[in-house]
Amino acid sequence: MSKRKPFPTLPDTAPTAKKVWKSLEEKRDPKPAAEAATKEFISPISLTRRGLLGFGASTAALATSGCLRRPIEHIYPYTKAPEYVIPGVADHYATILPRRGEVVGVLVESHEGRPTKVEGNEEHPTSLGSADVLLQAATMDLYDADRSTDVREKGKKSDWAAFDKAFAAILKTSQADGGARVRILSRPSSSPTFVRLRAQAKDKYPHARAHWFAPVAESGSREGSRVAFGQAVVARYNYAFAKAIVSLDADFLHGEQGALHATKGFVRGRRMDRPSDPMSRLYVAEPSLTVTGSNADDRIRVAASDIDSLVRALAAELTTRGVELGAIKDVVATAKPPEGSEAFVKAAADDLVANKGKSAVVAGRRQPSHVHALVHAINTALDNVGRTTSYAPVVDVTEPADLGADLKALADDIDQNKVDVLIILGGNPVFDAPGDIKLAEKLDKVPTTIHLASHFDETSEHCTWHLPLAHELETWGDGRAFDATYSIQQPLIAPLHGGRSAIEILANLTDEAPKGHDLVRTTFRERAAVPSRFEGAWKTAVRLGLDAGSNSVQFEAHATLDEVAAAITKAPLTKPITASNMEVTFSPCNKLHDGASANNPWLLEVPDPITKIVWDNAALLSPTTAKALGIESQDVISISREGSPAIEVAVWIQPGQADNSIGLSLGWGRQNVGRYGNARGFHVSPLRSSKSMDMLDGVKVSKAGKTYKVVQTQDHDRMEGRPLAIDATVDEYKANPNFVLFPGDRKEEVDIGPLHRELERPGSVTPKTQPLWDRVKYEGHKWGMTIDLNACTGCNACVVACIAENNIAFVGKEQVFRGREMHWIRVDRYYVGESEENPEVAFQPVACVQCEEAPCENVCPVNATIHSEEGLNDMAYNRCIGTRYCANNCPYKVRRFNFLEWRGPEGAQQRVQDMYQDIPETEKMAFNPNVTVRMRGVMEKCTYCVQRIEEAKIGARRESRAIAPNEIKTACQQTCPADAIVFGDLNNPKSEVSRQNRSDRGYALLAVLGTHPRTTHLGKIRNPSPALRKHAKPSEVKREGGSGETPK
Amino acid sequence: MSYRPIKEIGEVYLTDEGMTFHEVSDTVCGVTERKAPRNWWIAFFIAASFTGVLGAAIGYLFWQGVGVWGNNAPVYWAWDITNFVWWIGIGHAGTLISAVLFIFRQKWRTAINRAAEAMTIFAVICALMFPGIHVGRVWFAYYMFPIPNQMALWPNFKSPLIWDLFAVSTYFTVSLLFWYSGLIPDFALMRDRAMGMTGRQGKIRRMVYGALALGWRGSNRHWQHYERMYLILAALSTPLVLSVHSVVSFDFATSVVPGWHTTIFPPYFVAGAIFSGFAMVMTLMIITRAVYGMKSIITIRHLELMNKIIMLTGSLVGYAYAMEFFIAAYSGNEYERYVFMNRAFGPYKWAYWTMITCNVVVPQVFWVKRMRTSIPVMFAVSILVNIGMWFERFVIIVTSLHRDFLPSSWGYYRPTLVDMGIYSGTLGFFFTCFLLFIRWVPMVAIAEVKGVLPQADPHDASVHEEEEESHGGHEPEPEAAE
Repeated sequence: MSKRKPFPTLPDTAPTAKKVWKSLEEKRDPKPAAEAATKEFISPISLTRRGLLGFGASTAALATSGCLRRPIEHIYPYTKAPEYVIPGVADHYATILPRRGEVVGVLVESHEGRPTKVEGNEEHPTSLGSADVLLQAATMDLYDADRSTDVREKGKKSDWAAFDKAFAAILKTSQADGGARVRILSRPSSSPTFVRLRAQAKDKYPHARAHWFAPVAESGSREGSRVAFGQAVVARYNYAFAKAIVSLDADFLHGEQGALHATKGFVRGRRMDRPSDPMSRLYVAEPSLTVTGSNADDRIRVAASDIDSLVRALAAELTTRGVELGAIKDVVATAKPPEGSEAFVKAAADDLVANKGKSAVVAGRRQPSHVHALVHAINTALDNVGRTTSYAPVVDVTEPADLGADLKALADDIDQNKVDVLIILGGNPVFDAPGDIKLAEKLDKVPTTIHLASHFDETSEHCTWHLPLAHELETWGDGRAFDATYSIQQPLIAPLHGGRSAIEILANLTDEAPKGHDLVRTTFRERAAVPSRFEGAWKTAVRLGLDAGSNSVQFEAHATLDEVAAAITKAPLTKPITASNMEVTFSPCNKLHDGASANNPWLLEVPDPITKIVWDNAALLSPTTAKALGIESQDVISISREGSPAIEVAVWIQPGQADNSIGLSLGWGRQNVGRYGNARGFHVSPLRSSKSMDMLDGVKVSKAGKTYKVVQTQDHDRMEGRPLAIDATVDEYKANPNFVLFPGDRKEEVDIGPLHRELERPGSVTPKTQPLWDRVKYEGHKWGMTIDLNACTGCNACVVACIAENNIAFVGKEQVFRGREMHWIRVDRYYVGESEENPEVAFQPVACVQCEEAPCENVCPVNATIHSEEGLNDMAYNRCIGTRYCANNCPYKVRRFNFLEWRGPEGAQQRVQDMYQDIPETEKMAFNPNVTVRMRGVMEKCTYCVQRIEEAKIGARRESRAIAPNEIKTACQQTCPADAIVFGDLNNPKSEVSRQNRSDRGYALLAVLGTHPRTTHLGKIRNPSPALRKHAKPSEVKREGGSGETPK
Repeated sequence: MSYRPIKEIGEVYLTDEGMTFHEVSDTVCGVTERKAPRNWWIAFFIAASFTGVLGAAIGYLFWQGVGVWGNNAPVYWAWDITNFVWWIGIGHAGTLISAVLFIFRQKWRTAINRAAEAMTIFAVICALMFPGIHVGRVWFAYYMFPIPNQMALWPNFKSPLIWDLFAVSTYFTVSLLFWYSGLIPDFALMRDRAMGMTGRQGKIRRMVYGALALGWRGSNRHWQHYERMYLILAALSTPLVLSVHSVVSFDFATSVVPGWHTTIFPPYFVAGAIFSGFAMVMTLMIITRAVYGMKSIITIRHLELMNKIIMLTGSLVGYAYAMEFFIAAYSGNEYERYVFMNRAFGPYKWAYWTMITCNVVVPQVFWVKRMRTSIPVMFAVSILVNIGMWFERFVIIVTSLHRDFLPSSWGYYRPTLVDMGIYSGTLGFFFTCFLLFIRWVPMVAIAEVKGVLPQADPHDASVHEEEEESHGGHEPEPEAAE
């Protein structure tokens, strides 16, 4: 493109000019035409030769400047040995993801620099190789298309340079008075770097004040431990060694800190390989049915406010049994348990005393500090310290005891015009704050508010500056796990939207350079014992994701009984919960937790483990209470309390809910989070009070006269007497190790063809008539799976892991209502027993069981689903025409059909009633490149993660070795915190799956159909207290023949 | 002097007394030669509009995917397959009337067989639409055909859907051939009648009917071959009547779904198909005979005989319903038991009791002669039977699927507007085809009706020479094939 001048036209004024014109317009005014002639090649950049070179050079400079970061900020092992990065072969990096004041160690799978899947880090004590629902969904958070991409000043787009300039100016003016008018509001953090930087900022701005707020916090337990031990600690329970566990409103398997670790231990304490194995007994008293409660051996419904009196009564019962509780004895002597819990308390006390030193009492985070203190005292008195419980110091000792009060103090300061600059580092306090604080109004009064957040959310709207927060997978950071393990967070990808982390913003208040990598290294250097070994230790820590041995700071602490007694004396009992004094409880949502991931469609669509509700939350009411109030499920009620605005919530009648207690879950009802999360569910925070964040009594309920459609993935809760999720008590198991079988039925080797015998594993009557044809012998690999119902806690982590691994589409509330959810694995939740108020729960994960005689295969007219020689029931997506006959004929109903193009523009409209056009670019980055993305009209289902099998086979072949017995892990197995799922080669006697497959408890689901499933379910064992079993509970499962086989 | 037509069952003449060959030709051919009555246009407009709805609904379906229907998990099949089976069932009566009654020499069939066969063809077209459009990826539906291909893959011959495809397409082909071969002498008659016509219309009629008549001259040799072929086709079609619906029932019977996995299905489906097919023939015949004044050809006697068959097959179907319950109870299989109790008393009990009322209770009115000879009653019954039979398929398909083995996966099915649009669209398409048929094709088998006139009987004492008005009207030899 030369800059050749256009052919010179003579000026019109020239006397000799011969008028040449092309059009009338040109003749009248030749200027535009002449201009247009110079722009024959319209280009946004007017490029000359020099310009092109300059542009090229600057591009190159930009590219190289991007690379410059590499030598400085090491990501291991990529930069160390990039030649090992093979396109198509995923790398795994150890890092951490934060969770409410703790961190969880994870390994993140990365395909060519694109994180696609979070998995547990086996080296990390918090994860032990497992991940939960939220962690599994973290990649979708990272690729959330509605994340904030721009710095905004008063809502208008700005940039970091402008902010940095403005911020520097603000800080400079603030420095004059020592930052007296500066406030920093952050979430409780376990990051040593964050705490260190805040302390440094405090040095520089001595009069600045820090505040803490989080919707879900550990206030009660911290303060309780301070009372009991004289310092704030985190309690860590070793459930594997506990024989008797009493949980008081503590959902330690799902909602509490360290749930992954707790689940691992809990399940280990209950693994039954043979009837003689010991098994722990779990007592749960709680208001709402939780994951923990549904795994209880004995559970009672107690309103959260009544737990106080229950734990006092428990202490009293323990003292009568000779447990030395010192001064507490007198304080609790007159305590009466809540109505109906007397037998429970006695039985629990008996078991605790009988298992002294091998028991654990645990209180939920919602409970007030003196309950926690008393629980610590009981554990001390029961000699559990050092055996089943240990303690770790908290990172941030400055965190106040009561976060509600702390936020209130900030609000009051603002009212008194004491605040000029408010820096909010993460969180969404306007949305989360209790209603009585009215934080939004307060923020408007502060001259400068700076909000660092992942989305331009409800809080950002009220702030001067909004800064995009980088995701944890994009930035450096660190944190201590709940057991004090020091862990390092390394980025897997450069910030997609140019965000920054909280420590990078905070560093502006210190003298350190705001570079995450350097900040974390500095923290680590300060920790390093031998400075000369720093580099090596750093590299190791980054590679492992943790600093090995850093949790040795755990200690044994013994509660000071007098202090505890004093605290209890000071805390009067609240009024018992009755129909005239109803309570509400606030829990972190079982899937969204506190709502930070409220725009994550994976989480929105995965069903709640207990209610099975999707895309909404609801107010949970017990059947009795609902009846008394004349309320049905899906009615909208208005809940009000003095001092707080009333809220409207849809009702869901939930078995297992305590009477007169309303269970509300946090994190829903967002208005400004993004396309998926907006206007989902009900916002309950306004009802909360800064005085009592987590439970309130004295609420009033009235019907709002509306209904609201609540959608579940499973709307039938009973097994209808069918042998599906088969369970037994320990005694029944001991009496009949083959309880999963029908009377007269035996497991036996049978001929399945010439010279081939196989262990028949009936779960209901297996057809005695063998097929007319010889059954196939599988002589190479014979992939199989076992699912231990006794281990499964029902947490749903496997479902989200499967979504992430297998690119499973989400479909939206309306489509789930139509029964079109796509999850390949689901956790069926059945209620067992006659009681509608407090039934037992049985969870049963069901994915494709890979039938050897698969009913789906012979009905497919086009051979799209066929058997592999290793016994997998394969789906050939590109052969499938979508007759759906296979799904009709699947007795397990595990096949999923793409009724619409869930990922195209049309499907997008169907799945969420939003108007956006196509699947966002960033969401596409979350796809696992090893798994086909299915189009509409195609059937799909669990493949036993065939891509992982093939990867392992290729790896083994390349190294000329056999596949190791337990080498391959499916995504669901890999993430399962309970190790309930085991996959492997049934032909390899050394494999765990072949061992478990021969378990007494093993049965084939719906064996009566002769499908010969490869997946074996292992029956559930319950260990209820004999004292509480006055009459034998009629078992749901009829041991009856199915196909003419006469039992007995 | 008046001629008395041939007497048949019950010693009643099959046409009104005094009919001549010419009158028969005139009555039947006249319909296609005169201007269409106003009512035809109204009916055609309505039917064509619904055909338009069908087109639009199918277009939308193809554009969006099967999700525009109410089908879900676990009810992967719903109205689509219900409609398919229903239409196939309706398509049964034609062949039954033509082939089976022909072989059993039931002469009364002559008045209705043509229309019944046409109905069969159109119903089967409607039915065949569904396997094509109900698949998720219609553009790959051809995978079902055994076409040699680069993937070296055949269809799965173990799949009942493949059997179905072959059974229904065979049935369609044979029915079409059977219908067309029966039409040849009549087309020739139409061609010959057009000889006298002038103008453009005559020219077109001569060309079109001439081509369709395949050079039929009514020679003895022609009749010889014709009768032989007709008998062979009838013999070929007869087993098809039983096989098609048996094979359709295999779609269900060979599966493991409780409520589907039933050995009673083949005969039960065939009985049901005849039942619904006869009901549909009744509906159509009652209308056409009233509109086109064919009461002397399609007599009350014919209708009464049809009603008796409806009553018989209705009772057979009722027996099958009862037997299903008995087997479920007797088997001791809890899943079977549950499915049947759920049918009668579960969320879809309204569908079940609609089915029982329409299919079992209502046809019992035909025990009374007054009822089975009353036009309004039989019309109402024929409509109700078709409603009932639609519900029968709905009950079998949807109620079995919506609650099968694992209660966790139970669901409920609700149709969408597109479901309804496609169903009403196929009705519209069916009636459009049928209206075009009665407009342009002789709706009664002229040659056959002439064969049952007394003039055609060489042994009838009253017979004397009857002038023939055309070559096409050459009297057939009814018993040509000995």
